[in-house]
Amino acid sequence: MQPFDYLIPGDHAEASALLAAGNGRVRPFMGGTDLLIRTRGGFVRPQAVVDLKGLPGMKEIRPGDDGWLIIGAACTMNQVAMHPLVQARYDLLVQACNSVASYQLRNRATIGGNCCNASPAADTAPALYCLEAVAEIYGPQGIRRIPIAQFFVGPGKTALRSGEFLTSLHLPPSPQDARGVFNKLGRTKMGDISVVSVAVYRRSGRLADPTAPATGEWRIALGAVGPTPLRAAEAEAALMQDTSPAGIRVAAALAAAAARPIDDIRASAAYRRAMVAVLARRGIEAVLADLSAARAQLPAAGGAS
Amino acid sequence: MNHTLHFTVNGEPYEIVAASHHTLLQVLREQLALTGTKNGCEAGECGACAVLIRWPGADRFEPVNSCMVLAPEVAGAEIVTIEGLAHDDQLDPLQEAFIVTGATQCGFCTPGILINARALLDRNPDPSDAEIRAALVGNLCRCTGYIRILDAVKMAARTRKEALR
Amino acid sequence: MSQAPHHKPQLSASGRKPSLIGTSPLRIEGRAKVTGAATYVDDMPFGPALLHGMIKRSPIAHGLIKRIDVSKARALPGVRVVVTGQDFPGYTGLYLKDRRIFALDRVRYVGEAVAAVAADTPEIAQRALDLIEVEYEPLPGVFDPEFGASPAAPLVHPDLGNYECAPFIFPQPGTNISNWFKVRKGNMAQGWAAADLIYEHRYQVPHIQHVPLEPHVCVAQQDVNGKITLWSSSQSPFAQRNLIAKALNIGHSQLRVITPYVGGGFGSKAGVSIEGAAVALAMHARGRPVKLRMTREEEFYTTFVRQGLVAYIKMGMTKDGRITAVENRFYWDGGAYTEYGVNITRAAGYSGSGPYFVPNIHVDSYCVYTNHPIGGPMRGFGMAEIHFGIEQHIDQMALQLGLDPVQVRLLNCLKDGQETLTGMIMHPTGLSQCIRKAAEAIGWNAAPPPQDEKSHKRRGKGLAAMWKAPAMPPNPGSSAVVRLNEDGTATVSIGGVDIGQGAMTAMAQLAAEGLGIRVEDVRVNTVDTDYSPYEWQTVASRLTWSMGNAVLQAAENARHQILQTVAEAWGEDINDLDIVDGQVVSYRTEEARPLRDLVIYGLQRPDGTWVGGPVVGQGRFMPEYVTPLDPETGQGPRAVVHFTTGCQAVEVEVDEETGEVTVLKIVSAYDVGRAINPEMVRTQMEGGAVQGMSTALLEQIILKDGVPANPNFTDYRIATAVDAPLETENIIVEVPQDDGPFGARGVGEHPMVPTAPAIANAVYNTVGVRISSLPITGEKIWAALHPQEADPAMTPV
Ligand SMILES: Cc1cc2nc3c(=O)[nH]c(=O)nc-3n(C[C@H](O)[C@H](O)[C@H](O)COP(=O)(O)OP(=O)(O)OC[C@H]3O[C@@H](n4cnc5c(N)ncnc54)[C@H](O)[C@@H]3O)c2cc1C
Ligand code: FES
Ligand code: FES
Repeated sequence: MQPFDYLIPGDHAEASALLAAGNGRVRPFMGGTDLLIRTRGGFVRPQAVVDLKGLPGMKEIRPGDDGWLIIGAACTMNQVAMHPLVQARYDLLVQACNSVASYQLRNRATIGGNCCNASPAADTAPALYCLEAVAEIYGPQGIRRIPIAQFFVGPGKTALRSGEFLTSLHLPPSPQDARGVFNKLGRTKMGDISVVSVAVYRRSGRLADPTAPATGEWRIALGAVGPTPLRAAEAEAALMQDTSPAGIRVAAALAAAAARPIDDIRASAAYRRAMVAVLARRGIEAVLADLSAARAQLPAAGGAS
Repeated sequence: MNHTLHFTVNGEPYEIVAASHHTLLQVLREQLALTGTKNGCEAGECGACAVLIRWPGADRFEPVNSCMVLAPEVAGAEIVTIEGLAHDDQLDPLQEAFIVTGATQCGFCTPGILINARALLDRNPDPSDAEIRAALVGNLCRCTGYIRILDAVKMAARTRKEALR
Repeated sequence: MSQAPHHKPQLSASGRKPSLIGTSPLRIEGRAKVTGAATYVDDMPFGPALLHGMIKRSPIAHGLIKRIDVSKARALPGVRVVVTGQDFPGYTGLYLKDRRIFALDRVRYVGEAVAAVAADTPEIAQRALDLIEVEYEPLPGVFDPEFGASPAAPLVHPDLGNYECAPFIFPQPGTNISNWFKVRKGNMAQGWAAADLIYEHRYQVPHIQHVPLEPHVCVAQQDVNGKITLWSSSQSPFAQRNLIAKALNIGHSQLRVITPYVGGGFGSKAGVSIEGAAVALAMHARGRPVKLRMTREEEFYTTFVRQGLVAYIKMGMTKDGRITAVENRFYWDGGAYTEYGVNITRAAGYSGSGPYFVPNIHVDSYCVYTNHPIGGPMRGFGMAEIHFGIEQHIDQMALQLGLDPVQVRLLNCLKDGQETLTGMIMHPTGLSQCIRKAAEAIGWNAAPPPQDEKSHKRRGKGLAAMWKAPAMPPNPGSSAVVRLNEDGTATVSIGGVDIGQGAMTAMAQLAAEGLGIRVEDVRVNTVDTDYSPYEWQTVASRLTWSMGNAVLQAAENARHQILQTVAEAWGEDINDLDIVDGQVVSYRTEEARPLRDLVIYGLQRPDGTWVGGPVVGQGRFMPEYVTPLDPETGQGPRAVVHFTTGCQAVEVEVDEETGEVTVLKIVSAYDVGRAINPEMVRTQMEGGAVQGMSTALLEQIILKDGVPANPNFTDYRIATAVDAPLETENIIVEVPQDDGPFGARGVGEHPMVPTAPAIANAVYNTVGVRISSLPITGEKIWAALHPQEADPAMTPV
């Protein structure tokens, strides 16, 4: 690897100043699992890296106001997946984090790095899209917050401007009866970069009859089938109307139609599109099954409603 | 840029000067001559470079790929490498089991797998077959076909349990 | 010393039943490997004088070198050596001298070495590479072996006619065909006429890489007398010494190759790949050692890869399943240099029927130059590639005829005394047994489990048989030295390398058995060509058999020396003496004496004088019976030393929606002649099967106009612990080899040969689609199952 400096900023402002002055040759550094690979490959040639992990709050997971959860950008995948507050309400994110690479890599790879690297295949992204996470950004102008879907701009491109960096991800409250399933397809059975990934999330609104359409919300997000992760809005809307087996098939087909895949060395566009339908359908079915099981466990819910 | 670092490896304190862009893997192998930790890819993929690390303030050792850690990051950390797995000539039950089951062939993947397996048993003393496989998914072995490795981890788990009794 | 093979394979020298053969002592270097103490080349300390070598590589697949300017690189502080092709213009190669250490006037593949630097740090070396200016004139490339073999193709080696080659290699000057091996046997017209079904199909196998976990690495250093030492992660220390000494025009004793532990090879570390460049650098480094270590990326396409193959298989069968005729054409994608690959083509030719009796057969096996990475030996040496087609073909024809593929294989598989395709008489073989046992273990005839109608997963089974002979020149030699130490232990010196297969342990067993001591009392040295006796190469699954013979002979020679001494000192008949558990015993007087009392200092005669002395046993082995083959027909009495045969059966689960394959179980059954260490044989079978599974389902070097698109583990996936089968069963069949130690023959490569076709057959059995090209990806299966959705241009099946 060509030499570069390693800097530890004293506070947010210093970090921002270092990045701004570096003009692209000074890079934020967290787990390094993307940055070091790209540096070794000669794709980026940083003069210096700025280790942001030690800044206040970066490695913290804490409740915010109004039932929100705040996850520091430098939290590792394992840290997120094992955190009780995440496990309690955001199982979808737990699944996504646990699908990344290997256990020991997840001790380095951070959730913020995953977003900032902005790979269309970033595995936490579909979950964050479904949860409608908000990215908190620190920069020369102070703090700003944008929805995650605006954070991803294109392959490798984020909404971050000069001198800005991601500090945390804010998750809106997720009701107890919400359910999510993340499915990814790789070439090997586990730990591969996603060829296709699909997150399905259901806020039922009424656990008494979780499968009833038209209450609550369905959300579906797709990974590795477009320049950024994508929401499949039409599929979501269709599920609001109909969650019968036929309805599920329609929604899955709409999800596939929403995909904008390309041919690359991992898969053809045609295969990716077809797999979106398969993973979406399986995800929806699993969410429904999960909800039915939860409902069956409710003491009084019975068949009454 | 150079950094003066203090940290421990296998319980021994070290003070070294390391370059910013050098990895923990390089420091271990080239500066400390702890060559049991192997370099199989320098890309986080093969697991041959895995070591256990306890970051300052952390409550336990966790495995990481040392090719993915920059040298200056480990200031104040405690590190365990394959050389530190055995105690006073007493092999770790995992090491013993790897020999007995035939879980090592060329041996190049073995240090990283032992490190990761040790971390697994420390956090989950009684893992299922599927849990062992999942825990080792980032450790490539081209020789053994993994089956003996799974056998060895199960055998070591039993030995550890019996030792506790 | 006798060179004759042992004709008492079942018994040890004493005439006793062997006590250590067939037992499974643990790997003798196991403790070193589990503690991190085992030293590999990259682990060796060379101090601050060490220079770091790096190679400047061609970015284009084919072109002329117009200009190389290294002046800026030379001027960079910290750069100590820069060398180019001008410095070392000689040709080298194992079977065909078609290759230089650095390209001189022409580059022929992306990644070809054009220059090398050695500098104080890797960072400086890297910067120096960037400062080397090379100007190329691009030439049209050859990226397909069939096209390459056609007259329309541009020539990759216009000088082919001038290259030196081994007498059994047949280059076709004026073409890209660097070897054409032919078999012509029987009467094809009659063969086709006798067939009830004739079926022809094309199969394709991509380039793959061996992926040893330890990438290639070596260190070279020249001393004041000009002598060079090369520390090399190698399967072939002696072949490296030979080839490099000749290429650089230095004496063999002026080059010393040392090989410590090796982190896997699978063929990639046979012959020479990067080592010539390291030596070239060292020759200008004024005594400083120079290390050359491949990155994982370099490992993927600049050392050796497995050749690609396009195979046309045509077969005739009677309606009761008998093979009447076969016509096979193999187009090997040999890559830019085929110094080693030509012999893979030859091996594929003389094994081109698969393990079957075929009365009428034509085989054409062409080694074709392309502008792809260099094809070299890989575990299986052509057999995995050709069996992929042959074994699917047999299945397909059996099914078309309504026959059981297992019965068809049993009907046709070679039996003792039948003629092979080259006219060799088949030696006793357990092939039928292997097929039967594998089929039985997988539950071939068991009723399929009930299918859950709601599930998209289906289960099925497949099977494939194989054969493979050690592929090598007719006369590769082995030798061994067994020295006794003061304490009665023995030190075995060999020239073959334990690359993980367990050779050191097997040799310790053979030495212990031959001497009459405990395995624990045997040390086996790693290789140092200055001290180790000659060994051709660690390839061809030949060590247990060939080097094993040498070690056994050396041990027996030492034993004989010991007993002679004792016989003379004690005034006894040597036939009344034996060595048991490290003691010489007399069956006549029941006297016993530990070896430590006599193996160095000898024994005192009754008259007070001494007899004996340090015991050093030596042994050697070389097959003396392999005959040349007729260049036009491929016929001759004995093409090879022997064939190891076997069979694998697999059970798979296929997800019909995604095409994903899960391998549930792999059964391997091989005829190893005699298992010296059965547990180690089983670990070879298991490891080979999973490697075979990995290549079957996942592996391919994706090449676009010669540019590798996936030289990393991110996109060249290999099987992980999660992909490994849920269950394996490893069955040892033992039909002894007449000239193997205790009847042993090799089995190192064979376990990955039939895996891919067995899986392909299982996929067909499960979901009814035939995948004719490797790897058998989920996407290909999906495309075959959903043709209306798939894009045939992107997903050729
Ligand atoms: C072997 C291997 C396997 C992998 N498998 C997967 C997988 O299965 N799924 C998956 O999604 N990913 C995978 N990845 C990619 C990678 O691990 C993840 O994207 C990871 O989450 C990145 O986090 P990091 O902390 O390591 O990022 P870093 O490498 O530290 O940073 C990533 C990028 O973001 C920039 N950056 C970092 N922090 C900030 C910040 N706070 N603000 C602004 N910019 C910042 C960096 O400059 C860099 O460009 C894999 C990587 C490897 C090496
Ligand atoms: S060397 Fe670190 S993961 Fe391969
Ligand atoms: S033992 Fe060789 S790679 Fe695992």
